[in-house]
Amino acid sequence: MNKALNLQFSTSPHLHSQANVSTAMRDVIIALIPVSLVATYFFKLNVPFLIFVCIASAMLTEVIFRKIMRKPLSLHDGSAVLTGLLVALCFSAATPWWLAMVATFIGVGLAKELLGGLGWNRFNPALFGRVSVILLAPWITFLNNEFFHWRVSFPGIDTVTQATPLALLQMGLPLPNMGTFFFGYPGGGIAETSSFALLLGGAYLLYKKHISWHIPVSMLATVFVGVAVLGQNPFFHLISGGLLLGAFFMATDWVTSPITKKGQIVFGVCIGILVVIFRIILAPTEGVAFAILIMNAFVPAIDNATRRLKFGETRTPVPAQQGVPVQKTS
Amino acid sequence: MVKTFERGVFLPHYKKFSEDKPITRLPLPRELVIPLRQHTGAPCRPLVAAGDKVEAGQKIGASDAFVSAAVHTGLSGVVREVAKRPNIAGEMVDCVIIDVDQGQEFPTWPAEDYAGLPVDEIKARIREAGIVGMGGAAFPTHVKLSPPREIDLVVINGCECEPFLTCDHRLMLERADDLIEGSRLISKVLGGPKVIFGVETNKPDAIAVLEQKLVKEKDMELVQLDVKYPQGAEKQLIYAVSGRKVPPGKLPFDVGVVVQNVATAIAVLEAVRNRKPLVDRVLTLTGPGTPNPGNYQFFIGTTISHVIESTGGLQDDVVKVVVGGPMTGWAQLDLQAPLTKGAGGILALTGEVTQVTDYMACVRCGKCVDHCPMFLYPNYIGVYGELGRYQQAEQWGAMDCFECGVCVYVCPSRRPIVSFVRRTKKAAAERHRAATRQAL
Ligand code: SF4
Ligand code: SF4
Repeated sequence: MNKALNLQFSTSPHLHSQANVSTAMRDVIIALIPVSLVATYFFKLNVPFLIFVCIASAMLTEVIFRKIMRKPLSLHDGSAVLTGLLVALCFSAATPWWLAMVATFIGVGLAKELLGGLGWNRFNPALFGRVSVILLAPWITFLNNEFFHWRVSFPGIDTVTQATPLALLQMGLPLPNMGTFFFGYPGGGIAETSSFALLLGGAYLLYKKHISWHIPVSMLATVFVGVAVLGQNPFFHLISGGLLLGAFFMATDWVTSPITKKGQIVFGVCIGILVVIFRIILAPTEGVAFAILIMNAFVPAIDNATRRLKFGETRTPVPAQQGVPVQKTS
Repeated sequence: MVKTFERGVFLPHYKKFSEDKPITRLPLPRELVIPLRQHTGAPCRPLVAAGDKVEAGQKIGASDAFVSAAVHTGLSGVVREVAKRPNIAGEMVDCVIIDVDQGQEFPTWPAEDYAGLPVDEIKARIREAGIVGMGGAAFPTHVKLSPPREIDLVVINGCECEPFLTCDHRLMLERADDLIEGSRLISKVLGGPKVIFGVETNKPDAIAVLEQKLVKEKDMELVQLDVKYPQGAEKQLIYAVSGRKVPPGKLPFDVGVVVQNVATAIAVLEAVRNRKPLVDRVLTLTGPGTPNPGNYQFFIGTTISHVIESTGGLQDDVVKVVVGGPMTGWAQLDLQAPLTKGAGGILALTGEVTQVTDYMACVRCGKCVDHCPMFLYPNYIGVYGELGRYQQAEQWGAMDCFECGVCVYVCPSRRPIVSFVRRTKKAAAERHRAATRQAL
């Protein structure tokens, strides 16, 4: 051993699984490709254009905020790209690009970076951005008027005028058949075009173990039972209004959902109840987005309320130990 | 039936390097650096001074405290000095440094008749031999064998759940009779409770040998355990073999159990039968970065560099040398630290196996919570520990963490939660000391 040793130091453990944030983000993006393709089939170039606008503004926003706050860039974690894509998918293909840009800016800049970046955000950035532009409607109207002639639109946009299934249902109009809805129907938001494509993506995420069944199943089951009890067709509710996008891609967001499986079930059920209330009683079509955001705010409370016992702990608390307990593989 | 505990994680085994290598002895070292504290408990005071001649097996450090373990030299030589040296964890500890007589024979300890020995004498011999738990924690064995309440189960820990390590595996295979006899002694000291050997199923040859020998033993049985980490941690092992749960802040004897590692059981037999002090042990030198992986017997106080030099050095692509297992062991920057009674492995790791990377913020993926074998909240412990909000880290379970490393292993943000736990424990200990000072 004459050579100079150049050894690394770190605390244990010295092995690591392959789990990695960028890979997870990449897989979620992959899972969203099918629905993006179906939407592109219906709305032509408008869809890739809107996705491009959102992803580009998400990345730009993140870079700008990080530069201002003098933090290292973090584009490699993939969360900006994913947020951009998700924002785009929440809109309809006819949405003007500036509106999508404002939503992305608010989602990435305010809801995520201002709070400390990925991991510190309380609300799902994509939904936060999407809902903000709904709440900011008066100003948005102003923007719409100012920039109207800047609008970019490609052929294929006229199909967008079709009403969403949920709107048809609420207006009491006749519905197309279920199969059409399920596999591909050009109404509503980009991600509402195909439940089948969303389920495909969701299945992929489950298979890759990036999400578990707890949130989607508890959320969808609650909505299903809720609307059925209130006398509406539960299947239409499941496959419309962005419920599947919400259940598999938004509510399951790691950062903004509860940390234990038990908490996740509580979370899913509460979202489901809120969705039913919004849809049936209040009737806005963006009920899913509001429901998820509202429950995002309760995540710390849910974590506290569903706190599990330590190994060997019983309900009656053992008096706190002062010293440092020693237990090692012996 | 294969048993196990809840949660934990399946790790790659990496046992191929050394599992088929029989135990061999390393050549004589030039020097021994024998720390006076290698165990949990009070340090020993030196019984020798610079210039003294020492004989093989001579006691060189002792303490009057009950929770302590004597230290001996395994080789004859001359004491060069008693001085502070860094141990594998980087702490400065008092060591007796011995220039070893070259050309000496390896020492032997003849067997004596020990059949009729009373329990007190057995315990005295174990204490005299300075035996400690050899699975890593290094808790003095005579203390563990003096429990304040009745024990109805002895578990012999043959899990060796850390990847790479194979020394316990080889001991079970090569010294099964001694292991069984040592376990019988341990049981005898404790009033004769039942003995269960817990072995992971990735050691089928050892299981076969032991099962065949245990057929004629009543009150002894082997339980096969799933190859899941940390199967060999005391609380998880006890739960897997007996269904008993040791509550937070309690010890195995609170549920009537004593756990001993296989190497310790063999050392107990040698201490009683041969009056042999704990002066040597077997470690696994392994990993993709060593040309001669194997299971080597060495004398306590041998330096890491002696082990590595006498087995052909390190390959150029080694990026990390670890003493202990890959999940709980200590990375070394230089190789001068002495190997102690608890050292079960030296790993020469390459960049393929281990990477030091930056970590990110917690993204709350929940993987650490899903896998923590203590059912803690490593995510919150990490977040609050990093912020220096130690009391909140404690509220989420930091004090019950035994630093198994599972949470860090599964974390996609690669958060060093174990270091945050250590910081939290240190802060708690300091707070406790400050409070005690104030009370005085
Ligand atoms: S918190 Fe502690 S006990 Fe739990 S997995 Fe992490 S290191 Fe292991
Ligand atoms: S595994 Fe890492 S990123 Fe995931 S919750 Fe735990 S600490 Fe956070």
